[in-house]
Amino acid sequence: MKKRESIKFAVTALTAALIGSSAVHAADQDQVESSLLIYSEKDRVSAAEGIVGISKHLRGEFLLGLRLTYDGLTGPSPNGATPSSKIQTFTRPSGSGSYDTQPGRTPLDDTFKDTRFAADASLGRPIGRMTQVSTGFHLSTEHDYSSFGFNAGLTRDLFQRNTTIGLSGAYSRDAVKPEGGVPVSLSTMLPPSGDGDEHEGEDDDGEGGDSRNKDVIDAVVSINQVVDRSTIVRLNYSYSHSSGYLTDPYKILSVVQDASSPTPGAPDSYIYEKRPTGRNKQAVYGEVRRYLGGHTIDLAYRYFWDDWGVRSHTADIFFAWQFKNGHAIQPHVRWYSQSAADFHRYFTIKGEPLPENATADSRLAKFDALTLGMEYSLPFNSVSRLRLTGEYYTQMGDTSPPEAFGELRQYDLFPKLKAFMFRVGFVRDF
Amino acid sequence: MYLKRSAKWLSFLLLLIAAASVSGCASMGVKVWERDILAKPQMQMDAQAIDRSMDDHIYFSKEASSGGRGFGGGGCGCN
Repeated sequence: MKKRESIKFAVTALTAALIGSSAVHAADQDQVESSLLIYSEKDRVSAAEGIVGISKHLRGEFLLGLRLTYDGLTGPSPNGATPSSKIQTFTRPSGSGSYDTQPGRTPLDDTFKDTRFAADASLGRPIGRMTQVSTGFHLSTEHDYSSFGFNAGLTRDLFQRNTTIGLSGAYSRDAVKPEGGVPVSLSTMLPPSGDGDEHEGEDDDGEGGDSRNKDVIDAVVSINQVVDRSTIVRLNYSYSHSSGYLTDPYKILSVVQDASSPTPGAPDSYIYEKRPTGRNKQAVYGEVRRYLGGHTIDLAYRYFWDDWGVRSHTADIFFAWQFKNGHAIQPHVRWYSQSAADFHRYFTIKGEPLPENATADSRLAKFDALTLGMEYSLPFNSVSRLRLTGEYYTQMGDTSPPEAFGELRQYDLFPKLKAFMFRVGFVRDF
Repeated sequence: MYLKRSAKWLSFLLLLIAAASVSGCASMGVKVWERDILAKPQMQMDAQAIDRSMDDHIYFSKEASSGGRGFGGGGCGCN
């Protein structure tokens, strides 16, 4: 076990803070950390994710960080279509086969099954007494998605190391290869063909083939400030520019009968969604942590906005109650509220001109979300610690939006999402 | 249009606050020998980096927002 001087610890910690997705861990010692997460939505998606990370000091004051992630996902997920009074039949993403949705139920695509493997590595090093630089890369792969990227960051201490400013940037190149080929945006979903290839062909963004690319550039500017002996604050600004294929190839919209038809609001057909090919996301983030007689309170707030029209507020409160025997409990409350993207709609109406972009994805709808959680932390010995966490997450949207008409008025167009999360984490210094 | 203009003003305001913060920071803080509490493990903001990244992954795949604490970019087909 190598102990380093405390100043260097602080620099390392702040560097890791700035490089948000970096594998460098803010440890003052060499450390191995692992975590297993089970996520389960009521009647919908279940997921399991495991992460193993290691941070190790090397010769020449280098700090190496490595992290491996594996996750598996299964279970039905909303496809974007509206409920109906009749049985609805949808073509599976592969193009062959179909699935049915019973009357009055939210259409769920039950073909979702995916595994993801990701690796992150980073290397950090002090340059002189007051500056720290780091660089890293990541790659991840799923059966229909892959990503490769790299990042770099720099931090500088000021004012007797009470202030640290930082700048970091990242670039990521992602490739989407949807099952059954890339659907033509806003085209009508065809009945299953059995040969699995009716989605293939030229999309209207002109790329052609079965895959599309997405480029993402990120930048984060940060200030960390020691306020007094018991308080530290952080202020971040982040910018992210995405370009390329940003559409979800598996999401659709219902085209419903108009108000003058004999069955107003009933589905006539389904079309594939379409999103813009560019997105600029910005966020400001503030966090304050204060020591209160042996316990710790952490308050964080984020304001997010983008050029798709989404605005959101996120507030987190953690309170770590420390017992004298080294055990701790930490209640957590998170509140989230977002507005809808400009091109979000719950359905389109037959006979009306198609919009330039359209999605019925509930993740781009207006909704609020609440997380309630509790963590129990217990030491095994002086160098290792176990953390057990349970959280409940729920989303509440507009179940009966004003634009609903006809039979759509009697259904939940934003069914409440309820999910449970359980996490087991283990940390060991060496 | 109104929201875009608000966002621009908010960016400008934040830059102003950031600039003011840096100059104001010079008078804040503690001496080296007063860092006993700040050095405690529970005062390290990134002590649970892996847990926070797992949470961010969940929220990134269920909500329209990302970033703020760190990068908000790609790497996952979940959104």
